[in-house]
Amino acid sequence: MSMPPPNRTKSAHRSPALRPVGPNSLMADLDLPPPTNPHVQPVLDPIFDEPDDHGGPVDPVVLAAAMSNLNMLQKQRSNPHSASSSPVDSGPSSPNFQNGIPLAPPMSSGNSSSVPGTPHFGAQTELLKALDESTKVIRQNSKAPTRAPSVSGIGAVVEKPDYSEAKIVVAMVGLPARGKSYLSNKLMRYLRWLEYNVEVFNVGQLRRTKARHEQEAGKGKADHSAKFFSHSDPKANAAREQLAEESLEMLITWLKAEGGNVGIMDATNTTIERRDKIRQRVARDPNLQLLFLESVCTDPAVIAANVALKVQSGDPDYAGMSREEAERDFLSRIAQYERVYQSIEEPGISFCRIFNVGQRVFMNLIQGYLQSRIAFYLMNLHLKPRSIYLSRHGESIYNVEGKIGGDSDLSERGWQYARALPNLIKDNIGDGPLEVWTSTLQRTMQTGSFLPFEKKTWKSLDELDAGVCDGMTYEEIEEKYPEDFISRDEDKFNYRYRGGESYRDVVVRLEPVIMELERQENILIIGHQAILRCLYAYFLALPQDQLPYIKIPLHTLIKITPMAYGCDEKRYPLPIQAVDTHRPKPLRQRKNTLENTPILSAEPDELVFQSTTARDYFGHLPPLSVGTEQVQEDVSADTKLPTGGMIKTHGLGLAVEPGALKEALERGQETGELTPRAIAER
Amino acid sequence: MAAPLYVTQSGRLWHAGLILICTVGLPARGKTHISRALERYLRWLGVKTRVYSLGDYRRKVLGGANTLPPDYFTATPRAPTTEALRKRIKGELEDQIWDFLSIQGGQVVIYDANNGTREARKECYQKFESRGVHVIFLESLCNRNDIIERNIRSVKLSSPDYQGWDADRAVADYWTRIREQKSFYHTVDVDEGPYIKIMNVGEHIEVNRIEGYLQTRCCFFLMNIHTKPRSIYFARSGQSLIEHSYKADSDLSPAGWEYSQRLKAAVMARRKAYREEERLAGRDVAQEQNPLIVWTSTRRRAHHTAWPFTRGKYKVVQKQIMCEINPGVWDGLSSDEAMKLYPDEWERHLTDPYAHRAPRAESYHDLSVRLEPIIFELERCQEDLLIIGHASVIRCLLAYLVGLPPNEVPAVEIARGDLVEVTPASYGVMTRAFHFWSGEGRGDSTGQNLYENFAESALMQMQQDSVVFSAKAQDMRQEAKDEEALDRETEVGERLRRRVGSGGAFRLDGDGTRSAPMLEGVLEHGDEEVLEVDDGEVSRGRPMSVFRLDSSRSR
Repeated sequence: MSMPPPNRTKSAHRSPALRPVGPNSLMADLDLPPPTNPHVQPVLDPIFDEPDDHGGPVDPVVLAAAMSNLNMLQKQRSNPHSASSSPVDSGPSSPNFQNGIPLAPPMSSGNSSSVPGTPHFGAQTELLKALDESTKVIRQNSKAPTRAPSVSGIGAVVEKPDYSEAKIVVAMVGLPARGKSYLSNKLMRYLRWLEYNVEVFNVGQLRRTKARHEQEAGKGKADHSAKFFSHSDPKANAAREQLAEESLEMLITWLKAEGGNVGIMDATNTTIERRDKIRQRVARDPNLQLLFLESVCTDPAVIAANVALKVQSGDPDYAGMSREEAERDFLSRIAQYERVYQSIEEPGISFCRIFNVGQRVFMNLIQGYLQSRIAFYLMNLHLKPRSIYLSRHGESIYNVEGKIGGDSDLSERGWQYARALPNLIKDNIGDGPLEVWTSTLQRTMQTGSFLPFEKKTWKSLDELDAGVCDGMTYEEIEEKYPEDFISRDEDKFNYRYRGGESYRDVVVRLEPVIMELERQENILIIGHQAILRCLYAYFLALPQDQLPYIKIPLHTLIKITPMAYGCDEKRYPLPIQAVDTHRPKPLRQRKNTLENTPILSAEPDELVFQSTTARDYFGHLPPLSVGTEQVQEDVSADTKLPTGGMIKTHGLGLAVEPGALKEALERGQETGELTPRAIAER
Repeated sequence: MAAPLYVTQSGRLWHAGLILICTVGLPARGKTHISRALERYLRWLGVKTRVYSLGDYRRKVLGGANTLPPDYFTATPRAPTTEALRKRIKGELEDQIWDFLSIQGGQVVIYDANNGTREARKECYQKFESRGVHVIFLESLCNRNDIIERNIRSVKLSSPDYQGWDADRAVADYWTRIREQKSFYHTVDVDEGPYIKIMNVGEHIEVNRIEGYLQTRCCFFLMNIHTKPRSIYFARSGQSLIEHSYKADSDLSPAGWEYSQRLKAAVMARRKAYREEERLAGRDVAQEQNPLIVWTSTRRRAHHTAWPFTRGKYKVVQKQIMCEINPGVWDGLSSDEAMKLYPDEWERHLTDPYAHRAPRAESYHDLSVRLEPIIFELERCQEDLLIIGHASVIRCLLAYLVGLPPNEVPAVEIARGDLVEVTPASYGVMTRAFHFWSGEGRGDSTGQNLYENFAESALMQMQQDSVVFSAKAQDMRQEAKDEEALDRETEVGERLRRRVGSGGAFRLDGDGTRSAPMLEGVLEHGDEEVLEVDDGEVSRGRPMSVFRLDSSRSR
């Protein structure tokens, strides 16, 4: 299947774990020893040779057989109504062995593995193998000047597209409590989901971590009350200035040395002078682009909600202060900034000014595709409270039979789920408005058929296309293509089925859906396992290597509620039996992964993903500043993280689960206290 | 997600409402350019959209600038008769707009006029908002006189207003018109309503209170357009071994590999010729040729066709969303078989080849939705672009660029062996086709077996016209062939020179390819680099001799 053009340096960089091992795979093609050396030799570049190909020209008999086999294959047609779909029967002479090349032996009729409607050249029959075999022989003999590599079998691992050219510094601008961190985190989540390497560098986190570090070193508690933010105190100014510079340095180092794509500098950057310094620093590296994101908030309700959130959420700056005290101090900190605040008006710089989180957006000199994507994404955000409900279709006939793909109907238990769904939804949202989206496949439309809401069907929500393996069981695939089967397990996210899709392809296809989803309010998506995994990973900020193993069981409604710094999740399983279609990562590979990334403390399929609604006041800074183990441990202890590494796996840059805060937030959400709208209405 | 998802019986998107986009801006600010581009995009999305141009209407009713009252474009106060005349023209046009929205089932109107004063905008805003139409101002600003001057010269001089005028006099007249209007021009303020302001066609964009599905889509679109000159080329992928199967995703056939080489040569030759044409037409030709990027799909038949470009160090990008239309259960069937096996579906397919979706397949509509991100990237891309695609994908993209309505998408025909060149022209694009290959696999009967072509075979049965690019293609087979020979010669020559140093010992005569054997015994193995030479003539079925030259000694 499609691989990027071969590139020896690149392939050398691939970790052996990613390398498909089968003789059918492309990597095997690349792995040849250099051919022996005649000066002028009528062979092809080794890149383009098949593995067993350096033995000279093909035996004419074999070639003739391949040619004739291919001619026959070209005449093969689908036979959608025959259960065995053995195309050989429809061939003119239809021998099973023609010219020495075995063709598909007709499968026993009535074999349920071949479904009416399964197109030919699916991996069920031997046709595909016959085709690959003939192609290989013919390629070997053909002397075309250059050749792209060929891949046979049922699919291949596809490398991540090259994003190395994208290097953007995003510098936030705005007063405290204007939603800068909210926007930074949201943007990070979105771009990471699209496989950009993104990191937020929060100056506040750096400051707090350093302060605590010093405190532990016995230097006493640093004063980070409003006094520290006074712009008339030269000492405080210098200290803040140094922090900001340090943070930017860390960001640029990370962009350059660690293959970062987008580094978000989450700081106030409220003065022209401060921004000038950033511009000068970034300009020193000609490959870096700079984009300012100014968050302007004129709606007192939104600010009040942000302040309340900040004060209540356990900011260590306010440890030991009463709520009133903290609030007073924080407001006074804001006032310090307001005194010197200069909105962006410098000519010739790229910036995006967002008023009241999306109400009005001003864009200036947006350069490049990624920047315009960022701007468009920000344009689609809103702050209205809502929930996203995800549900798989009810159990389908194929689920029961263990087959993948297809367009089968619901099973009896699946219909039960469909009938139970309306009440489950009603218990949750009452009679409020709800959008319902389904895919174009029967099983999701049937599942939604009892819901009393308007439904939209999206082609983009169709299940991952398993290409030639559509309609097969995993056992069948393993039996027929054992090596390919293993290479999929080794890198499931990147594995693209021949004639079908990879998880990455699904993510790309779902990107417009995410954009639309951000604009919606309450919404229910009735989808498929792979589709919901991708959507779930977006909301819960899960990394690509875990994405294909997210548990999305049948007959379970998942409720996702966006909160200030992440999403909260609840699951409502219905007591209707269903088969388990989850395929955990095979143990063998799992061990490998565990060795490489010790973070996976739990078995991947048992991972209970933490909700990510809490704000992280310390962050996970590169060793440059936070170096010591002690601090790391301390951070986790402080914010009740399971392990320090957990966060890295999840790729959040956000802390997980300080219980108290979560509860407080939930309460606030439920009572409507914390939502901007509620405050506005008060 | 693209709008056609929501297409309803009435041809409107039920949730988007009626929208009036009012352009605002002084003359020669690119309002019409932006309006037309937006119209093209919205139409492609399946939204019933029309541009109403006040200038065009005035010209239609009153004639060119010569026949107008002298104070028609001057600031107030005007003579009462002129004022009445202006009011009448405007009123009539707005009545037509309302007709389109209320009676003809239109959804979006782009009202292309200056709307330079607060009063004019307020009047328009109130008139339409009170009827339930969502009004948005689209202001086009320009603070660079060179852009304006270029705009006047390239677009306005050909306007009927200046038929028979001396160029400089017309330009001067136009500047006067701009100045007149400038004196009472007011930029749109925040309190006037939702607006989008665009400075210098996309340099700055300001968006105010833009809400709603179509509205944000328009914004994103406007964020991506530009007016830099560039060319977009389209070519089909080469013939593959199993043409009629989507699933098989088979290799190119020998003819396909030859085609891929010839395609590269054709593109090279065409790019050279285009530069020459530009130069002869007296237009500025930049010193550096605009770089070429190749987009192709992840299907083998497509990215293998791009292989010579990959080898030639061009940037080749494979995009999964550019894969051909998925035939679903019709994979591997000919249209006759599909007709026989799925008579009902086939019937529906004939009725609506654009929107009909065979079981588990994609309709052209689905394909358009899938391709929408490509449209944006296409608009944003400033380099020259070659799209090596599948018939279905090229249909959708060309239909967008040319501005065809969705129902004509399945009928766009581009044969294998034709290169379609799309270049920007005032208010739209110019397309030209070049025929560079007549070998095997060029739109013959096998083509009809593909789901991709079901629609057109359906259309043939319905005796409809289709947009056939090959019909008016210019022949450039010889040029492509020459270019390929030249290309090979240069490649060989360069590599040889690099290997044997600058000495003239290995002078190439005439056909560089023939000199390859004389290197026998000279070069030694050890260099990674590989040089393949064949005997020049590429023809179907004939084995080509390939020589391998490895050398390190010369270094």
